[in-house]
Amino acid sequence: MAADAEATKSLSGLLNGIAQKVYYNNEEITEELLKSELYPELSQDEFTALHEKMKALLKSIATADMDHGQLDAFLTAQTRKQGGGGVSAEQAAALSRFWKSQRVRVRESLLAQSRWEPGLRGLSWRVDLQTAASRGGTASHGGPVALMELELGRAGQESEFVCLEFDEAKVNQVLKKMADIQESIDSIVHRT
Amino acid sequence: MICYPCGLHVLLVMSSSHTKDSSFLGGRIPPEIESMSKYLKDVDQELFRKILKAVVSALEGKDCREVMRSIAESSAVPEEKLSHIVAGMYRVLTEAVHIPSASLKQEAFKEDLRELRIPEDFITDFASVVFGNRRAALETAAAQHDPHLPTIEDFRWRVDVAISTSSLARALQPSVLMQMKLSDGSLQRFEVPVSKFQELRYNVALILKEMNDLEKRSILKIQD
Repeated sequence: MAADAEATKSLSGLLNGIAQKVYYNNEEITEELLKSELYPELSQDEFTALHEKMKALLKSIATADMDHGQLDAFLTAQTRKQGGGGVSAEQAAALSRFWKSQRVRVRESLLAQSRWEPGLRGLSWRVDLQTAASRGGTASHGGPVALMELELGRAGQESEFVCLEFDEAKVNQVLKKMADIQESIDSIVHRT
Repeated sequence: MICYPCGLHVLLVMSSSHTKDSSFLGGRIPPEIESMSKYLKDVDQELFRKILKAVVSALEGKDCREVMRSIAESSAVPEEKLSHIVAGMYRVLTEAVHIPSASLKQEAFKEDLRELRIPEDFITDFASVVFGNRRAALETAAAQHDPHLPTIEDFRWRVDVAISTSSLARALQPSVLMQMKLSDGSLQRFEVPVSKFQELRYNVALILKEMNDLEKRSILKIQD
């Protein structure tokens, strides 16, 4: 029993290690590290075979973004395979557990791989009243001013900041566009 | 202290200004206003009003080169004198609009011009621009030159659904592509995932609410 628990632990360690390396761009995780930490007793060939098999299975599951039913069917088919290509019941259970917890994150990382424009990472803003300027005079005729900072960046690159100024009319215009965009998104989401 | 040809006069004006609150023109009378007051003697009210109208449109940011040319061609006043007059009137108006209307009293303004020996009729015309209904337009035009962050000139968007990608067989993920043309000429294009889009929309709505509240409460009387 203790040996089984140990095997399960190593297996889920291996799956998480592969995910770190392949999907989360964690470059500290290497194949050698996984072997020495999790499977020191296996020969290099045995470990490579196991590693490649798990990597391929994860890739099939991730690329198809399998839901619960699909994963069940897929793993059942894999366990019935004869010979070395098949999956043991323990391995199937570990894969199932791993996928349940990591599906959303893996999908997000895969989506990001096909995103080339810089993405919006965050925003901050403040609302000011202009009270005076170098030309003198009070700016009492001007209403409040909104300053907005958009944080933009491509995956793996540092952020770039864009600062903008809005008067009330402009904010209103942008908000109307946002409502249009929302409507457009809703129409798609409802249809699918 | 004596830094331009009319320096002597400046000293005189300065010494006289000790006896009253400072002039809206400051301690030194700007040279173009000095020259203007000298040359205005040769100008009748009709010509003065024509020039004043042209100067006001220039302050409002309009192109008035044509008007100026026709004034110069039709007037008996030599062009060199005219240019001194135009420059001086321009300066009088910018200096006056520069000062908050609450701090510049009409009587003080007129008194300052009287000291420069500007004819009374012209003073009345100047005052009607500075204290009349053109003032708001002049202030707005002046505000264009305040330092500003860029604003959005054009905002386009597109909602995409990624069907399939090189790493995901069935992506089916909506995202928003936004493109903003800014007043500084730059173009910003970026993708906004749906979750970030919600955050953006919420914040824009919040900004508008803040701005509305600010105006309603009219907390313009900020105290320190």
